[in-house]
Amino acid sequence: MTDWNAMSDAEFRKEVRGFFEAEYPEDLRNLPHRPKFAEIEHWHRKLHAKGWVAPAWPAEYGGMGLNAAKLLIFYEEQQRWGVNRGRDMGVQMVGPLIIKFGTQKQKDYWLPRILSCEDIWCQGYSEPGAGSDLANLRTRAEMDGDDFVINGQKIWTTMAHDATHIFMLVRTDPDAPMKQKGISFLLAPMDQPGIEVRTITTLSGETEFCEVFFDNARAPRENLVGELNKGWTMAKALLSFERIFIGSPNLAQNALGQLESFARGRGAFEDPVFRDRFAQAALDVEDHAALYARFADQLKRGETLGADVSMLKIWVTECFQRITELMIEAAGPDGGTIGPLQVGNVGVDVLSSFYKARPTTIYGGSNEIQRNILSKAVLGLPG
Amino acid sequence: MTQTDILLSDQEDLRLLRESARTLFERAGGSGRSRKLRDAGGCWDADMIRELAEAGVFGVTVPAENGGLGMGLAAGGVIAEEVGRVIAPEPVVMTIGLSLGLLRRLCPDHAKLEQLVGGECVLAVAWQERGPNGGPAEASCRYENGKLTGGKAWVVGAVGAQGFLVVAEGGAGPVLVLVAAGADGLAVKERRQADGSAMGELSFSGTPAEELASGGAVRDALAEAISDATALAAAELVGLSERAFEITLEYIKTREQFDKPIGSFQVIQHRAVDLNVMCEVAQSGVREALGLMDRETDPKVRARLASRAKARAVTAARKITRDAIQLHGAVGYTDEYDIGLYLNRALVLSAWLGDDSYHRRLWLEAREQEGAAQ
Repeated sequence: MTDWNAMSDAEFRKEVRGFFEAEYPEDLRNLPHRPKFAEIEHWHRKLHAKGWVAPAWPAEYGGMGLNAAKLLIFYEEQQRWGVNRGRDMGVQMVGPLIIKFGTQKQKDYWLPRILSCEDIWCQGYSEPGAGSDLANLRTRAEMDGDDFVINGQKIWTTMAHDATHIFMLVRTDPDAPMKQKGISFLLAPMDQPGIEVRTITTLSGETEFCEVFFDNARAPRENLVGELNKGWTMAKALLSFERIFIGSPNLAQNALGQLESFARGRGAFEDPVFRDRFAQAALDVEDHAALYARFADQLKRGETLGADVSMLKIWVTECFQRITELMIEAAGPDGGTIGPLQVGNVGVDVLSSFYKARPTTIYGGSNEIQRNILSKAVLGLPG
Repeated sequence: MTQTDILLSDQEDLRLLRESARTLFERAGGSGRSRKLRDAGGCWDADMIRELAEAGVFGVTVPAENGGLGMGLAAGGVIAEEVGRVIAPEPVVMTIGLSLGLLRRLCPDHAKLEQLVGGECVLAVAWQERGPNGGPAEASCRYENGKLTGGKAWVVGAVGAQGFLVVAEGGAGPVLVLVAAGADGLAVKERRQADGSAMGELSFSGTPAEELASGGAVRDALAEAISDATALAAAELVGLSERAFEITLEYIKTREQFDKPIGSFQVIQHRAVDLNVMCEVAQSGVREALGLMDRETDPKVRARLASRAKARAVTAARKITRDAIQLHGAVGYTDEYDIGLYLNRALVLSAWLGDDSYHRRLWLEAREQEGAAQ
C-alpha cells in the first residue's frame, strides 16, 4: 500500500498528472454534460483497478487516504486535465458518512459496492419547499415492521434517472421542538414500485436534474445510518472540505482560457472596452487564486478552515458568470446560437458555458445564504 | 533549512515588522494624528520621519551593505499597509519606492542615501511633466552645464522636502540630478489635494543642480523605481481599505434605527460581506504580487505585477471607501467622522502613479507582449 502522504507535493502531483495524462480517455476530456455511468464505465474500471476511486477515504476502506493538502492536489490535477468526476455521489457523500457514523455491517456491505460502482448513488436532500431552508424538508419516513415507509417528494436530484440508490434526509419526528432535530439519514433502493423519477429539463435543454416521488416506498430498518433523528448534524459535519473545493479557481480559469482564445479569434481584443473588461475578469481570477492559495496553505498546515472560506465560492462563481457573459458579448450576433461556434478550426460552445455558470451561484448554498453566513459568523453582525 | 522553513521564517520576520510598525503608528496617535497634521496645513511630522527611520522603515529594501535591512518589496508592502491603516501623511512609499529606489540603483554610495535611510532628510522625486492640455507630456526639462531649465509636475512631498531628485534631459540622454530646496531659480507651486497634502509643480530657470547619474541606466532605474512605488502604493491602499472597512463594520454594529443596529438588516449585511470579500481578495492579490516581484528580475514582468497590484488595490479602495460613506449615512458626509479622511486619501493614492483602468491597460499589454515573446 503506497503512503501517498509521505511523498513531496511535487512528486505526488507528478504521479497523479502522469496517470491522468496517460490513462484518461481523450474523448471524455472536459465533457460538457454530466455523463451516465455507461458512458464513463471503462474509465471507472481503470480508476478502480488503480485503487484511486476514493482519494479521501482511509486506506483501510479502499481509499487513497490522502490528507487535505494531497487531496487538493489530486482535485486540481483532475480539473486541470478535464477528468470527469464520474458518478461520485457515493464516494463523496455516502461513503464518508457511513465511514464516520455507520455500523461495521453497513461498512462491509456498502463501501465496496460504492467503490466498484455496483451501486450508483443520487442525493435526496432538496424538496420543493426546502431549498435554502433545507431543514424545512417534509418527506416522511415512518416505521412499519422492519421497514421505513417513505412518502413525499425530492427535487433537483442530480442524475436520479441513472442511479440505483438514493441517500436522503427524511423527517422521522414531525413533532421535534426544532425542525433540524427530527431528521434522519436513510438509504433506499431506487428500483421499487413506490418510487417514480421524472427528469427536469433545464434552461440549457439538459436533463440531469430529476424529481423523485415517494408513494409508500420502502427501505429496511438497517438502512438507517447513524442514530434516528440525528441526520441533520451528520450531514452538516461532512461539508467542511467541500467548502474550499466549491470555491476553487479552476472553473473560472478554464472559462477564462476559453474566452481568451475565442475572443482573439473573433477580433474582440481590438475593442478597448472589451480589453478592459477582459483584463478585469482575468485579474479577478488571478487575485482569487491568491486568496484560494491562502486558504489552501491553512489546510496544508493542518488547520481547520473557518466560515470565512465561503468567500471563495461567492467571488469565483460570480466571476465565472461574468466571464461567460463576456463570451456571449464576444460572439456578437452569434450570441444566441446553440452549439459550437467555429473559430479557426476550434468550436467554442458559448451558450453551454453561459448556462453552466448559472447554477453555480445557486447550488452548494446559494450565494445569498453564503453572505448570510459570512455576515454572522465572520463579521459578527447581529440578527 | 528547507524551503518551507525559509518561507516560514520569512513570514515570521514580516509579522514582527508589521507589529512594530503598527505599534509605532498607534502610539503616535493613529489616524487622529493624521487629522491634526492635516488641520495644521497638510505637511508631515519631521520627528515621525526620524522615528520611522530608527525602526528601519526607509531602509527596508536597501541592501544591508548600504545600511538598509535588505528585506525586499514584500516587507516594504507590510510597512505601506500600516501607513495606509492610519493614513499617515509621511511620504513613506515615495521615499522607499522612488527616492531610494533611484539612489540605491544608480548611486548607492552617495551620502544622500544614508541620510534618507537615517530619516535626516526627505527628497521628493520629480519626473513627470504637464503638457499644454493639462495632461502628462513628454519630458522637455533640460539639464546643461550644471543648470536646470523647464518644469516638473505631480511632485509628491514637494512641500517639506529638503531637496529634489529630478530626472531631466541631458546632452546624452536622461540624467538624474539633485536640486536643493530653495535653490536659485526654483519655484514651487502647491496644488492642494483631497487629503490636505500638497502636490508640487516645479519650475526651474537656470537652477543649479548636482548630476548623480546619466544615460540609459537612469531610464531603467526610473522604470524600476516606478514599479516599486506603484506596488507599494497598492499596499498602502490595501491597509487603508482594511481600516476603512473595520471602521464601517463597527459603525453598522452600533448605529441604531428602527430600534435595531442597522447591521442587523440583510441588505446592509450583504453589502458589508461584499466589502469584506473585496478587501480579502485585494490583500491576497497585492501581497502575492509584491512577493513575486521580489523573486523576479525581468523589469517588464515586475512592471506587470505592479500594475496587477495597483489595479486591484484601486478597485477595492474605491468600492470600499465609497460604500463606507453610504453605510455611515449622513454623518459619513461630514468632516468630523474619520471615514471621510479615508475616502480622501484613497482618491489621492488612486490618482497617483495611475489608476485601475490605466493599470489594467498596461497589465494586458504586458501580458500580450510576454505571450508573443514565448
